Amino acid sequence: MTVEFDATVESEAAPLGVSARPPRSLVRAFWPIAATGAVLALVPLWLGDSRLMMGLAVDALVFGAYAIAFNVIFGSTNQLFLCVGALAGVGGYASAILADQAGLPMAVALALATALATVVGGLLSWVAVRRSLGVIFTGIVTLAFSLSFANLVLGQRGLTGGETGLVVAAGEGSFLRERVAAFYLFLGMLVAFLVVFRALERSHIGWAFRALRDSELAAELAGVDVARYRVYAGLIGSAMLGITGAVYAHSDGFIGPSTFGFGHVDVRVLVMLAFGGLGTLLGPVVGTVVFAVLDELLVDAGQLRTVVYGLLIIALFLGFKRGAVPAVADLLRLLVRRARSRIGR
Amino acid sequence: MTAVVLDGIVLGLQFGLLGVGMTLVYGLGGVLNLAYGQAAVLAAMVVAVALTAGAPALVAAGAGLLTAAAGGVVLDRTLMLPVYHQRGEHRVLLGLLLTLGVAFVVDGLLLWRYPTGALRLTIGGEAVPILGVRMRAGSLWASGISLAVGAILLLFFRATTLGRAARSVIQDEVGARLVGINPAAVRTFIFALSGALAGLVAVTRSMTSPVGVTAGFDFTILALIVAVVGGLGSVAGAFLAGVLLGIVSTVSAFYIGQYITTIVLLAAAALTIVMRPRGLLGR
Repeated sequence: MTVEFDATVESEAAPLGVSARPPRSLVRAFWPIAATGAVLALVPLWLGDSRLMMGLAVDALVFGAYAIAFNVIFGSTNQLFLCVGALAGVGGYASAILADQAGLPMAVALALATALATVVGGLLSWVAVRRSLGVIFTGIVTLAFSLSFANLVLGQRGLTGGETGLVVAAGEGSFLRERVAAFYLFLGMLVAFLVVFRALERSHIGWAFRALRDSELAAELAGVDVARYRVYAGLIGSAMLGITGAVYAHSDGFIGPSTFGFGHVDVRVLVMLAFGGLGTLLGPVVGTVVFAVLDELLVDAGQLRTVVYGLLIIALFLGFKRGAVPAVADLLRLLVRRARSRIGR
Repeated sequence: MTAVVLDGIVLGLQFGLLGVGMTLVYGLGGVLNLAYGQAAVLAAMVVAVALTAGAPALVAAGAGLLTAAAGGVVLDRTLMLPVYHQRGEHRVLLGLLLTLGVAFVVDGLLLWRYPTGALRLTIGGEAVPILGVRMRAGSLWASGISLAVGAILLLFFRATTLGRAARSVIQDEVGARLVGINPAAVRTFIFALSGALAGLVAVTRSMTSPVGVTAGFDFTILALIVAVVGGLGSVAGAFLAGVLLGIVSTVSAFYIGQYITTIVLLAAAALTIVMRPRGLLGR
């Protein structure tokens, strides 16, 4: 009995991330998003000539979008969804199959696929909430879903092409296949997701998120329907994942089991977010940029790249539990304050 | 059918041992060790290297188990220390993420050094008929070793002071401390035991099918499934779940197919968590 009580009391403070309130004024709340969008919009001017580099840039944006979605689910409400790739895969495969094999128009296929991913993610969230699974059990259940999805894709060769992957015909010849155009499309989605994230933060939903993340018990006692807001986060994040996966399938023209695999997507998203800062607005974007650059630097390292990522995971979670960027920002702020007080004296 | 079920038992006994290593570390340290499968692969590679260097099989296997056990001790004494300072869910989460990092490091290093490494032990001897099914000598040896080790483990946890101390820490760390048990020492021992078990499973597994350098993640997931279904922290539960899942796995692989089998195993773990979180024999 006492042990259980201890466990609730001690899981009070949020393990990762910060629950700061977003700024009140509209300008101060949204200018970082505008600035981010504007800076990233310049990338094609720099890399636009190289199809290869633009392809990498598009991939980076896709991962950024995944990371924002994961940030909504895990960063805001502490639901460890280890099925980021799988939910995006539900969107990607469903849209490709609906458009190519069922002959639906691409827009309809996209919408249906997004809806399907939303429902699946919402269901997972609902089950986790209903059975009040902790962080770990939620993680194991969603991991099981993730691996099951991967095996389903491998097993249903007729629909998914199995190991060889699936060439997506829908979207052929449209602007989606132009790398620069696709870059701006995904950038638009990324900015839109950021706006949604900030708008959520500023709404009553954001209040509930902060409350339940700081202390689930206190939130519940203060009348916050924790279960409902968790499912909201699950639905919103899954919708983001579904639509990103689906658009990616049509834009890239090829999807395979590893496109949405656990090792390829989930681990990377987790590290990106851990680096940028969990639960922060721009954390996913910072992580995206840093890892795009890091990937390029380590391109020749082969298997040692995995080692570097492993070391990075260890260092990040040992040293900066709130994310490297917030930690460095705090340090800078401290130094500035010291310098100021010294000048003042 | 009998052949399929017997194969399932052979597989299941190894699943059981695999699950025990995972479940013990969780029960004792509150750590879900995601680098667990990498300990198995590490042992397999050490055995393979020792065998090619000309060492006798028993010495090679011993070296493999010792390396894996040492890996467990190093993990416990270094990276897991900050984890033990945390409580409740923080502890599990931090342990999970750190061991995930370790898994990547070990995987990357092994793949870099032995890109196509694999361990395959060939056990000579005639196939022996059991219940009208001819069982390969490798399967029998693997099962015999698993059964013996399993029995020793159960006896160890019931009848020896160290085993009882370990169980008391699993039940109540504060209580164990009050009666003079040093939880940290017990934990280190259990990490070593867990590593050795992972190594042992890699060795017995290689008697029936090759263990490749990339098998780490699969071992970890299997161990996780078995530990969850059996009830996290329960040794007997892990054994029971291992044998059951082994039979389910071969029967389903025989009648339905390999991919669906993996889904069935994963679903078993997910359903256990949702319907009965304490597992088959958990408290």
